Amino acid sequence: MTTVDAHSALAGEPVSTVPSRFGRRSITQAAIAAAVFLIAMFVLPALTSTFWVKNFTSAAILSIVAGATGLLYGRVGLVSLGQIALYGVGTWVTMRLGFATDWPYPVLVLIAGVITAVIGVLLGLPALRLQGLYLALVTLMAAAAFLVILADTKFPTGGPGFKGLVVEVTNSDSMRRPDVAETDFGFYRYVLVVAVIMFGLALAHLVSKPGRAWASIRHSEAAALATGVNTTTYKLWAWGLASFMTGIAGGLLAAHVRSPSTFTFGVEQNIILMAVVVMGGVATLWGGVVAGLLVAVLPELLQKWGFSSEWSLILFGTGLFANLLITSWQLDKAGIKE
Amino acid sequence: MLNTSQLFPFLISGLAFGAVYAMSGTGLLVLYRTTGVLNFAFGAIGAMGANITWHLIEKTEWCPDWLAYVACVVVSAALTLLYGVVFAPRFANRDPLGKMLGTLAFALILLGLMFNLWRSQDARGFRLPTGTRRFEIFDARVTWTQVVAVLFALLVVGGVTIFLRATKIGTAMRAIANDREISSLLGVPVRRVETAAWLGSGVLCGIVGLLLVDLFGSLDMVLMTWFVIPSLAPVLIGQMRYLWVTFFAAFVIGVVEAELNASNWGWPSQYRKTTAYVFAVGALLWFARKRTIMISGRATR
Repeated sequence: MTTVDAHSALAGEPVSTVPSRFGRRSITQAAIAAAVFLIAMFVLPALTSTFWVKNFTSAAILSIVAGATGLLYGRVGLVSLGQIALYGVGTWVTMRLGFATDWPYPVLVLIAGVITAVIGVLLGLPALRLQGLYLALVTLMAAAAFLVILADTKFPTGGPGFKGLVVEVTNSDSMRRPDVAETDFGFYRYVLVVAVIMFGLALAHLVSKPGRAWASIRHSEAAALATGVNTTTYKLWAWGLASFMTGIAGGLLAAHVRSPSTFTFGVEQNIILMAVVVMGGVATLWGGVVAGLLVAVLPELLQKWGFSSEWSLILFGTGLFANLLITSWQLDKAGIKE
Repeated sequence: MLNTSQLFPFLISGLAFGAVYAMSGTGLLVLYRTTGVLNFAFGAIGAMGANITWHLIEKTEWCPDWLAYVACVVVSAALTLLYGVVFAPRFANRDPLGKMLGTLAFALILLGLMFNLWRSQDARGFRLPTGTRRFEIFDARVTWTQVVAVLFALLVVGGVTIFLRATKIGTAMRAIANDREISSLLGVPVRRVETAAWLGSGVLCGIVGLLLVDLFGSLDMVLMTWFVIPSLAPVLIGQMRYLWVTFFAAFVIGVVEAELNASNWGWPSQYRKTTAYVFAVGALLWFARKRTIMISGRATR
């Protein structure tokens, strides 16, 4: 293992070698993923109430966003603290189109994903000149600006014009769900299937040419350039894929909560997301699943156990802290400096 | 058309907030240059200090107000020092992003603690003695807190400039900012200098916390915690390097933000809140217009 590989592995980050498609490890992981999916799809709804199914739906949606953020950070080395803003774009586009047209819900979500990807790439194009801390800050600032705009435009409620707002909102002015998933249980299963498709899409990228290019960019952009990797294209590709996944998640959220609030997309949510993504781990896509569960389910569990949900902030902070301390200690032990 | 008398009150308000941005920016910049840590917990620490001040004023009978104000600064300095001395050295081998994530974790912990100790829905706040005294200039009401904020910002930036140039520890800070490893090899007491930087930054956290409560008119822990984000805008415009550029950028942002609040511009007034972000993102992209790659926090072309 080279120094760079050792460093990445110790830091809980991916090593440069891309796992083979059909190795024993891959088959085991695929089997575990299939088992988790089947349990989540059929066993969990049978054992829990509507309340928890709604929370698990939120977790599945957020796991897509977390998976996209983790992919950018862990696989390409791009830090986005603005992913929640793109999540909001996906939600807004889905709702606007949902009220303006009779198009089938999957089409709305797909268009939301594509539009979010285009916006993500347009925002990412100039930002790709930046890396590390600067990229994190520029994305966070862009997200903060987006929140201000969102606070003014609000989410569409079926009215006319660009904003699509009506003066008096009634229950009928909420976002529709797909015909096959009108109930909360049905929609939970629908979201699970979409989440699996999104993670499958990410995995397909990781085990093929883009994944290898991203790994080389992540370790050394200069070396990647020297070996003929078109770094701009592949970075934009990663940005576009992550934005697409996030936009799709936004589309799912629109039908999940039906009347979303701008508070869902607060600046602090970007920071909490990054904290849980690091806690969940960025080395594998499983980190996204863990992060989604942490954000959506942990606060509710705390409330159920008699604690205020704000304890989750302390736990997220402590978890991030512990993760950083452990990886720093491991780096120290190996005599590696980032 | 707006006339000068309409703009003037917003100018005063803008200068006051610009001063707070300038003080926050100075605290963040000096700490970053000396330790390599961009302290995202700056706002949370100030908010924690301000909450303790509120608690001492409103919930105790024995504590005089002046002592409660001092407590804000002391608590903020102590918390910053705690992080800087106990935790920050553990992340010494991380890149600037890793170090920043450590402070983000600290901010989340503090925010969670504040939520649990002082419920967010309680209407809280306190006035500094300077906040209740006013005078008028060109029909605009000016509080002494606004005047104090501007004077204090000038004092802080001027004082830091002199400190960095004229004192032994200031020179050591500049040396570390230039090249940490060589400075260490030459015998500069890096840990002691870093401790001084953390302490100074912590004191500024407390002062900013006090001023913000008075200027906002309430103690909003979430708003104060994430006030660090717009406060970073002037630091970024100053390329995380130039103190006086940061200082002037802070005032420009503060004034532009406030003037956009004047409703007759035909622009929704809440868009004024994007001012700092637009300036910062614009500046970052402008500086990065030539290909720049960041390696371990250092720019190479």
